[in-house]
Amino acid sequence: MNNLWILNMGAVALLIGIGLYCLLTMRNTVKLLIGIEVISKGVTLALVASGYARNNLMVAQSLAITVIVVDVAVIATALALIININRHTKSLDVGKLTRLKG
Amino acid sequence: MHLFLLIGLVAFSILAVLSRDLLKSAISLAVASIFLALVLFLMNAVYAGVFELSVVAGLITVLFMTTIALTRNDGDVAESKRHRFIFPLFFLALALIDILVMKKLLGQIPAIQSSETGTFSQVLWNQRTFDLVGQVGAIFAGVLAVLALFRPDGEKAHKKNASEGDRHE
Repeated sequence: MNNLWILNMGAVALLIGIGLYCLLTMRNTVKLLIGIEVISKGVTLALVASGYARNNLMVAQSLAITVIVVDVAVIATALALIININRHTKSLDVGKLTRLKG
Repeated sequence: MHLFLLIGLVAFSILAVLSRDLLKSAISLAVASIFLALVLFLMNAVYAGVFELSVVAGLITVLFMTTIALTRNDGDVAESKRHRFIFPLFFLALALIDILVMKKLLGQIPAIQSSETGTFSQVLWNQRTFDLVGQVGAIFAGVLAVLALFRPDGEKAHKKNASEGDRHE
């Protein structure tokens, strides 16, 4: 266990914490996606930092690339969904999405 | 250098989350991606760094900016003003827990040292083949979802065509 790994994982915890805070407290749908992006950055850093510390960098990189590709697909779909919702509700407020409320 | 880049990454992520202007948030996110890519380059993860720089800092930022431009007039959502007070407290508590707990937590992970052989392309194509298949599936699913979300409304398009036909007659 080296100091660089501890430093990196500390940053990972902060990034995931910031992303979770955004997801739990913000009302703007674009901001929620930004929160997901911040968490994704933390996950990418965690994978590569762990691979670097354990001398498994190649596998870690391939996993990080998988995370990035899946992230792009998720973000593209979610942004398309946001544009469609915005056409109907004329707002980006997540509090106004109440049509499915029972 | 490494510490400086990590501080930049966390700082711009905070700016992306807390900034009121969505455009500034998207740009801050792109700058955070650039910092992350530099961190990855420093750890010799060149391929992951290139992906982070081109795909996340480039493509995703463009997608965010397009969405913000398309929803610009309706984009003002009143966020709570309590973030100014709550977020610093939350961040300090998180950082404190992080400093106290992280070293102990990581110390509990058993040290399994393995040395890799071969190049990145050999590992990616030979060992992680199913990951690649999954990636292709995820991209296709994303493309199909976007196409489905942006398809023209069937009834509206039919009515529009019918009314245009009446006008010609």
